[in-house]
Amino acid sequence: MGKIEAKNIIKYFQHDGKPLKAIGGVNLTVNDGEFVCIVGPSGCGKSTFLRILAGLEKPDDGEVLLDGKKLVNTGPDRIMVFQEGALFPWLTVQDNVEYGLKVAGIPENERHDISKRYLDMMQLSQFANSYTYQLSTGMKQRVAIARALVMDPDVLLMDEPFAALDSQTRDLLLVEMQMIWQKTKKTIIFVTHNVPEAAVLGSRVAIFSHRPSVVKKSLDIDYKRPRVTEDENLGKFEKEILAALRHQGPK
Amino acid sequence: MKANLFGKKIAFYVLIIVVWQGIDSAEIWPDNIFPSPIEVGEDLLYGISDGSLFYGIATSMWRLVIGLSIAIGGGVLLGIFMARVETVNQTIGSLVLGLQSIPSVAWVPLAILWFGLSDSGIIFVTAIGAIFAVTINTYTGVKNIDPSFIEAARNMGAKGSQLVTTILIPAAFPYMISGFKQGWAFAWRGVIGAELLFSFLGLGFLLNVGRQLNDVSQVIAMMLVIMGIGILIDGFVFKKLEDKVMTKWGLR
Repeated sequence: MGKIEAKNIIKYFQHDGKPLKAIGGVNLTVNDGEFVCIVGPSGCGKSTFLRILAGLEKPDDGEVLLDGKKLVNTGPDRIMVFQEGALFPWLTVQDNVEYGLKVAGIPENERHDISKRYLDMMQLSQFANSYTYQLSTGMKQRVAIARALVMDPDVLLMDEPFAALDSQTRDLLLVEMQMIWQKTKKTIIFVTHNVPEAAVLGSRVAIFSHRPSVVKKSLDIDYKRPRVTEDENLGKFEKEILAALRHQGPK
Repeated sequence: MKANLFGKKIAFYVLIIVVWQGIDSAEIWPDNIFPSPIEVGEDLLYGISDGSLFYGIATSMWRLVIGLSIAIGGGVLLGIFMARVETVNQTIGSLVLGLQSIPSVAWVPLAILWFGLSDSGIIFVTAIGAIFAVTINTYTGVKNIDPSFIEAARNMGAKGSQLVTTILIPAAFPYMISGFKQGWAFAWRGVIGAELLFSFLGLGFLLNVGRQLNDVSQVIAMMLVIMGIGILIDGFVFKKLEDKVMTKWGLR
């Protein structure tokens, strides 16, 4: 299961020594197996919100529930894929992918079986023994996704994982991401500032307002998959997202 | 290229010996002030043949290894604590900086009072001379770890000692290597300095014996041995280790 509920999340930043309200009461429920993209203007705290869901930061007010249970700490039930991948340079690709399993004390041969499955799935098998500096940015993000998937989390949290990729690699991964979602049926929350990316990936897109941010609009994207960015039929969804982003009030 | 570099080095040292012999042949200074390279060589051979040189090297190396191991173990631990616990940094951190400014040999009188003229005393001087270099480098290394490494690891369930052994130490390792290198250099100076003053076996002791016997060629011979060991350990142990780590971490 992986139903995650954020209730009235409030978060302050320190700005020049003064508290600045960044997240102003976000309510968001993501049902089990949903793929929700969060878009919002830069600085609206969408990445911070994701980190709060991951338990890497504490909200100043509000709570996060996973399947009805209040979350206090970070844990492998919600795995985060970081913007830059956060791969460990001292480990090989395979050891990176197996890291969480090793920490959990899973025996070596079992670890190898699991990692092999996901390395195959992400087309990384031939790079299993490479170190991360030998990989392209796109490959690194594949490793980061594989490392998250082996943990079999209830919820996958993705913080602009494709922001640093060239557009060809990104298009490829956008299609793969949809297939991964359909195959694994994971709950995915995906933060991006890229509107076409949100329209391609999300079964729903939550649009954050400028800070102090709230969920301004939640838009269902009911359209066949796999979607590709050049599909013109996605244009009307993109327009709706853009319109919601634009009406930000006097800021 | 490599052979060329090696040739250059050999030529340089041969040149030094030739010049040295030349100066000696000019007989500007008497032999008990300025020995010839041959006399120094004879002294080394003598030390080799009666085994005293090997015994001296072994004694000094043994003390070095124990002292440096203590320094590395303690320094890594202290450095990690300082980097991760703000209160430790604010209190012990300032003391560490102060203690690092004390030269190793300045610990000798205290070591003699505490441990007597013993191996423990020399090892104490060696360890304490090296520990703070390791501490400070480890501290810097841990402070410079990309915070997302730690967050990713915590997110995947690592905590406590697991976080230390699987993330903090390997992530800070390139910095720690510099700490080990500095620590080794301080430890080597410390062990020789302590042996000089303790006059209790080892290369530093042999150096001092040379002085007491007015045997200048033994003094120079021992200095050459001390330097030679330094070059070997720097070039073969630490340089190799550093190269390996830097390559694996993708830093070069």
